[in-house]
Amino acid sequence: MSIRFEKVDFEYSPNTPFAFKALTDIDLELSKDKMTAIIGATGSGKSTLVQHLNALLLPTGGKVIVDEHTIEAGKKFVKTKDLRHKVGLVFQFSEYQLFEETIIKDVSFGPKNFGISEAEAIEKAKRALKTVGLDESYYERSPLELSGGQKRRVAIAGILAMGPDILVLDEPAAGLDPQGAEQMMTLFRKLNKEKGITVLVVTHNMEHVLKYCDEVVVLDHGKLLMHTDMTTFFENEKYMEEANINPPSIIRFKAMLRQRGLDIPSDILSIEDLARYLSRRKGK
Amino acid sequence: MKNVTLGRYIPLDSFFHKLDPRSKICAMFAILIAIFIPAGWIGYAIIGTVIVSCIFIAKLQLDFIIKAMKPMLMMMIFLFVINLLVVKTGDLLFTIGPLTVYTDALTQTAYIAVRLVLMIMLTTLLTATTKPMDMTLGIEDLLAPLEKLKVPTHDIAMMISLALRFIPTLIDEADRILKAQSSRGVDFENGKFGEKITAIVSLIVPMFVSCFQRADDLADAMEARGYVVGAKRVRYKTLKFHGGDYVVLIVSNLILVGMILIWIFVK
Repeated sequence: MSIRFEKVDFEYSPNTPFAFKALTDIDLELSKDKMTAIIGATGSGKSTLVQHLNALLLPTGGKVIVDEHTIEAGKKFVKTKDLRHKVGLVFQFSEYQLFEETIIKDVSFGPKNFGISEAEAIEKAKRALKTVGLDESYYERSPLELSGGQKRRVAIAGILAMGPDILVLDEPAAGLDPQGAEQMMTLFRKLNKEKGITVLVVTHNMEHVLKYCDEVVVLDHGKLLMHTDMTTFFENEKYMEEANINPPSIIRFKAMLRQRGLDIPSDILSIEDLARYLSRRKGK
Repeated sequence: MKNVTLGRYIPLDSFFHKLDPRSKICAMFAILIAIFIPAGWIGYAIIGTVIVSCIFIAKLQLDFIIKAMKPMLMMMIFLFVINLLVVKTGDLLFTIGPLTVYTDALTQTAYIAVRLVLMIMLTTLLTATTKPMDMTLGIEDLLAPLEKLKVPTHDIAMMISLALRFIPTLIDEADRILKAQSSRGVDFENGKFGEKITAIVSLIVPMFVSCFQRADDLADAMEARGYVVGAKRVRYKTLKFHGGDYVVLIVSNLILVGMILIWIFVK
């Protein structure tokens, strides 16, 4: 069981004046049951990469392997529906995909498309809505009258209701208020740790990466720059420099302390832990 | 969806790209009329050579133009079939069962096909070498005399330029929603009739919602920057005729006159 990219190339509109190479020679194996962040500057190919996971984009070179499915360049891939059932992809600004007249109908739309009976789909929709924190009073309301953050929750519930093994989120927290963003990321972390769903998050927010993710994939101009676990990534300033990333405030703070001769262990990654550590040190 | 080439601007640096949009639009109309003058095959040969050489001067690739014609292929086949069944003049060519085919059916279809191909080549040449904004400026200037008849030419031009401005945005948007719904298991390619309808609804409703939202935002943004409907406006960019513009206008009108002469004297 694996998620693997083997020498994947992807080019938009090949053989036209608008041809654009978005991915070059990507070799990547993603760990299952982990929460992985995909980071990189705008236009580095993050969204393009994740769209390969459920065959929305087909590689123009190499192959993508998701469990028993292999998508190979130049070959026709037929099991699209099975793959999309397995890999749930939540797009950037997913609130724009809502269209049904009630929330419950919209959330059960996905499962129904995969041949699940009406009653069971509604059951799944209810569970998914509960997971994202929307109670019964929302079921019969129109998704279009909700606030932006609530719409986003409904859209995510729509994907969760499909019961994916792998959940891919393209900037799920973009445009949400800080509190809403934190709740969203906590939810994904919970899904990952409690339900064993593999979570991939495309994000620009380093604080989120630090706080919620286990592994980090860095892309740069369509090439894989590095794939490492989160602590190693934030421990090495060189890595962050190479990836042209502004470190989270806690990492910067630790670097400043180190400059003044105070070495902080690498496993301390939150303000709370740091405060506790410092007070304990002072007590000694 | 991103492979649509019909009507797309290609940023290159050529004689045609530098021309004034007004002269290009006028020249296009002159040749468009010339295409509809029944000057026979000699006429089409002349117009065809002119257009193809213009495409080369504009540094456009021929396969780009051919791609632009693909959507018209179905229409040409349809026309061919209709003509085959309807036109019953000329010499009898052959009979297959109840179907009789006459020579005029073939020549007429050929005429229509050639006209269509020439028209598409011509209009693609215009849209590929003219920025949408320049095009609307040109249209506005050309419509200016109508202002005396109280036609709101500036508003018309603004509407056209806004519509043109949003075509790529909406294509991207449609592409995104299409992918989002595909991720939710919607099958846009196969599926039964009922499923197809749900698929289309799942695309159209979000498109409408976001269009209205965009329109609202755009109206606010324009008002915030002081746009008033019907107010007198000055222009940042003014159009100017250069030597090349006169050449293009003269050549295109010569072709038009030539076609008329061929029509009168050869036939």
